[in-house]
Amino acid sequence: MRIEKCYFCSAPVYPGHGMMFVRNDCKVFRFCRSKCHKNFKKKRNPRKTRWTKAFRKSAGKELTLDNSLEFEKRRNIPVKYNRELWSKTMEAMKKVEAIKNKRQARFIMNRLKSGKELEKAAAISEVKKNIHLIRAPHAGQAKQLEDKMVQKLAEDVEMDE
Amino acid sequence: MALYNFKKIMVVPTAKDFIDITLSKTQRKTPTVIHKHYQIHRIRHFYMRKVKFTQQNYHDRLSQILTDFPKLDDVHPFYADLMNVLYDKDHFKLALGQINIAKNLIDNVAKDYVRLMKYGDSLYRCKQLKRAALGRMCTILKRQKQSLEYLEQVRQHLSRLPTIDPNTRTLLLCGYPNVGKSSFINKVTRADVEVQPYAFTTKSLFVGHMDYKYLRWQVVDTPGILDHPLEERNTIEMQAITALAHLRAAVLYVMDVSEQCGHALSQQLELFNNIRPLFANKPLIVMANKCDVRKISELSEENQACDRLLAHRVDTKMKTKKVHDVLNRLHLAVPTKRDQKERPPFIPEGALLRRKAVEMDAPKRKLERDLEVELGDDYTLNLQKYWDLMNPEEKQDKIPEVWEGHNIADYIDPEIMKRLEDLEREEELREKAGEYDSEEESEDEEMQEIRQLASQIREKRKLKILTSKEKDTQGPRMPRTAKKVERATLEKEMADLGLDMTDKDDSHYALRSRSLVRKRKREVSVPPMSRTRSQSTSRPPRDQSGVRDAKMLKKVKTMMKSSQKEMNRQGKKGESDRHVFDVKPKHLLAGKRKSGSTSRR
Repeated sequence: MRIEKCYFCSAPVYPGHGMMFVRNDCKVFRFCRSKCHKNFKKKRNPRKTRWTKAFRKSAGKELTLDNSLEFEKRRNIPVKYNRELWSKTMEAMKKVEAIKNKRQARFIMNRLKSGKELEKAAAISEVKKNIHLIRAPHAGQAKQLEDKMVQKLAEDVEMDE
Repeated sequence: MALYNFKKIMVVPTAKDFIDITLSKTQRKTPTVIHKHYQIHRIRHFYMRKVKFTQQNYHDRLSQILTDFPKLDDVHPFYADLMNVLYDKDHFKLALGQINIAKNLIDNVAKDYVRLMKYGDSLYRCKQLKRAALGRMCTILKRQKQSLEYLEQVRQHLSRLPTIDPNTRTLLLCGYPNVGKSSFINKVTRADVEVQPYAFTTKSLFVGHMDYKYLRWQVVDTPGILDHPLEERNTIEMQAITALAHLRAAVLYVMDVSEQCGHALSQQLELFNNIRPLFANKPLIVMANKCDVRKISELSEENQACDRLLAHRVDTKMKTKKVHDVLNRLHLAVPTKRDQKERPPFIPEGALLRRKAVEMDAPKRKLERDLEVELGDDYTLNLQKYWDLMNPEEKQDKIPEVWEGHNIADYIDPEIMKRLEDLEREEELREKAGEYDSEEESEDEEMQEIRQLASQIREKRKLKILTSKEKDTQGPRMPRTAKKVERATLEKEMADLGLDMTDKDDSHYALRSRSLVRKRKREVSVPPMSRTRSQSTSRPPRDQSGVRDAKMLKKVKTMMKSSQKEMNRQGKKGESDRHVFDVKPKHLLAGKRKSGSTSRR
């Protein structure tokens, strides 16, 4: 029993799910669901279809080169069963998984950081340009003028006196 | 070989059928459409083609008949004689000759008419020529009716003749009728010949096959022969005689010891002597049949007959020179001895052991099948017990394959622990470097205020967009001044924008303007103040100028209305509106000009 990878979207294909297509040149394609299968039949390139993992990796949206990703690799030479090795591998697997997830998350957060700066700049420019929608330009001026006049009058009165 | 062709002779159709087949074929396979305005060479070609086609067909079929039927001179004399006996050689040859003549006649007819057609100058003439040609060919064939019928019967009978190979080992049974020849053949071979108490049950030759000394033998059963001279013999007897005469076989002359056949032993003996000349060069056995005591001797006689025949055949073969050729080619090669050393054939040890084991019936190791039988229902196929592992006690472990969507087999690596250590070290370094510290930038108040304002602006914009989308753009576009602006809404809007709108009763928008004053009636009018104003009031309004009194005013008004009625009915905007909505209405212009007046459209 193996969990295969969908050729199109790289999702895990559990046994009993999906479809397998064998081409005349003996290349095997597995699909997790008919959506991927249909897209494949339409000859779409998974590297250009935005929702697939292949696109995300090729467009640099996800972590591609990392040591923690080298652990899970399909090996063609089988290793004879050895209880010790198997149990150690299981423990190692869990740890590696944790590290991998952390690193992937960090990668994505770093990528999104620059967005924050852009957000700030956008807010500032928005306010500068369209402040007139929420605040009239001469909002408190009448009051100011009045105050000024009152002040002036008072000064005049003082001067007269 | 001529033997097997008898079944493959083509069916000979009756004359009528023959004609029908050929003519319909001509009709189907040649072009049928022709007109008299075609060019004459085309017409000629068309009809010539038909004539030639018909001739070709007849020729082919008749030739095939002629070749299919066996030529009496070419087949084995046994068959030639047999056919002569059955079908009369002369009649046979005559029939085939007639067919041949017919074929030639048809060819000639076709040639003549094709030549004539070259001079046909109209469709009618060519057509008549073709008709004549085909007619003559068909008449020729009609005259062959008898021959064709006879040949068909011959063919049917021929195909049913038993396939007697005149060249292999044969045993021939002959004797008086009813002596037991058919019973004998039924016993010895798989043949199923009719056996009945009356004489001449067997009316033709029958063949059976049997195996003796790994060879196939033909046993031929003949109809009984009576004792009278050759000229007086009938067809049935003649078949037997033919077989006797031509087949190189061992002859078994069957005699009925019990005289049940109705002929005395002496009569049988006499017959034997009479047909003795036919037995020249053939091994002969006299069979005493129907003596139930002597069954064993019967069998022995049969064996003797076969052996004798075999010996006879070998003898004759040896006498011929062919044997010498074969012997010359055979040579047994033996290597000459080089020295006194013994060189026996080499047998490998394993083969020897296996041979011994087979002989001794060595005990086999326990098979899975045995285990299955032992355990019955509890049996499960456990291939893991054959595994070759470092620690054999781990053989029965349940191996995990999948964990949380990952294949464990993908992680198996003898160096995994080392790599894991490296990875963890790296991770520690990274953590120390501060890569995983969460950055919480505290923004200053100004920035927060800006963000808040920005969000308000965005909200306001969205609302404006929504309200503008709800506008009615299809209807008439009214100027902004058409709608009255409520004071309350104006003040609210301005207050939202931050202006102070508290004390605005004497502002310009709060005063009532002249345009908002309600319309007063004409009668109650205020005399105008200025001069220009007074002039305009003294001038009568246009719809009253030239009108004398109320009665005339009423009439004028009705005239106006009536002139407008027609325009309104037609939906016109005014008297200058000459727009036609439908210049060519379909319901008036479509369709044919049927009965009725067509002067208008």
